[in-house]
Amino acid sequence: MRDRAMGPALQSDQPNLIYLNNAATSWPKPPAVLEEVANCLRQPLHEPGRTTGNGSMDYPSAARESLAAFFHADPAEHYIFTQNATDALNLLIHGLVKKGGVPFHAITTELDHNSVLRPLTTLVHEGAISLSVAPFTDNTISLTAIKKAICPETSLVVMTHGSNVLGSVQDIKPIAEYLNANDIFFIADGAQTAGHIPVDLSDIPVGAFVFTGHKALFGIPGIGGFFISEPDAIAITRQGGTGTDSRILTHPSDMPMRFESGTPNYPGIASLYAGIRFISSTGLEIIGKKTRDLTRLFIRELKNRPGITLYNDAPDLPVVSFNIKGIDNHEAGYILARAYNVITRTGLHCAPLVHERIDGGKGCIRASFSWFTTRNEVTTAAAAIREVAESADTQVRSI
Amino acid sequence: MKEYVLDKPLTEDFLKFLEHFGTVRFLDQLKKPYFSYEKEHFISIKGFVGDSNVEVRYKKEFHDLVGDYFHLLLYYYDQGEHGISALKGQEESIRKKMKIRLDPPQENGT
Repeated sequence: MRDRAMGPALQSDQPNLIYLNNAATSWPKPPAVLEEVANCLRQPLHEPGRTTGNGSMDYPSAARESLAAFFHADPAEHYIFTQNATDALNLLIHGLVKKGGVPFHAITTELDHNSVLRPLTTLVHEGAISLSVAPFTDNTISLTAIKKAICPETSLVVMTHGSNVLGSVQDIKPIAEYLNANDIFFIADGAQTAGHIPVDLSDIPVGAFVFTGHKALFGIPGIGGFFISEPDAIAITRQGGTGTDSRILTHPSDMPMRFESGTPNYPGIASLYAGIRFISSTGLEIIGKKTRDLTRLFIRELKNRPGITLYNDAPDLPVVSFNIKGIDNHEAGYILARAYNVITRTGLHCAPLVHERIDGGKGCIRASFSWFTTRNEVTTAAAAIREVAESADTQVRSI
Repeated sequence: MKEYVLDKPLTEDFLKFLEHFGTVRFLDQLKKPYFSYEKEHFISIKGFVGDSNVEVRYKKEFHDLVGDYFHLLLYYYDQGEHGISALKGQEESIRKKMKIRLDPPQENGT
């Protein structure tokens, strides 16, 4: 036998691909999103201050207005575009530290993603903050757990709105109300919830709410952002061209330019605008009901099956994490992908602390669904998982 | 990690050959019979019997010593019984170099 020295077959060439990795990035995208991106690029861009042309459409302004309506909170200029949720979280966390100027205490949780944990850990190592990590109970973070972690020096709480591993939605409203009343800045990471459940920011007094464009909001990768209630709470950490007042060498502090500089990701913003329009026209409640039904179906197909461990059998989000006895999660994911065309994600999902609690830090397989997932795909995938589980305890040949 | 495409599909006979050198795990009740092969410090291979694609992983710290090991497996597989003893000989030579790297001799010769 010889190696033909060619690359692997592309997954997109495989027929009957079952894509269950929507919590990482949603696929497919609505055709209207792809069309809007193409439209955006077909004509010169609308770039006030950067061109004399009229351009096609002011996508940033339109997208901000859409976001304000979608999240029920004004003003639109307080919606800031970033590369993704990680970029937004970094901008907010480091901006808050810079604004404070003196070390303070921060709180995060065991459910949080490395986009929160890593910036905070880096700041701990730099001596800029001290950090407490609130534990979860029954897959949720309670206000009690947050209160227990608070001390006189606490100035910041950053926590996930929805766990990307357990699929549990956190009740952030009472937490936001308590922190707001105690002058503690609260950043809620909505990367997994925006587009899946209604988020009413007029009813939840967050300091900032972070979203990403390429998951349940159906945009393309490379766009995310945040809503901020009090922009002055965050120092400006990026400076550059804004297309206005070029003679002035200090960066403008008015919104949205305070946190945006350089040429924006127009195709990404266009995709976010179109994604929100798709969700609004389809109906967020209708989308939520479908994905919840698919999740329940998947869990029913796997629950109480020998050799399959589910880590949350009643998630609020369309996210199901599980393991198969006798087979490493990476190996199981490889088999599901290559033998059954079922795409999942394996490993620690950038959320190491939750895995320490649920699977001893070994990681697990995660299936996650979207509006475009079908019942047939769910049952086919579940059947494949059961087949792998039944086979997993097979003889090992060794010399 | 590398993915190789072979000129012939993998067979169970190749897995029997691999058994001479390391641990083979074979799940033959799946839609496609799956195997994984592990040889500590050297290589891990996984794929499906009947497929031409295999995924191969090397230990980064020993990649310079074992980077060609997969090709050695393919080459010696075609040599039959002679291939088994020849490859074992090559392995021994690689292991000696690994041992030095894992447990370098002290400056005073101990």
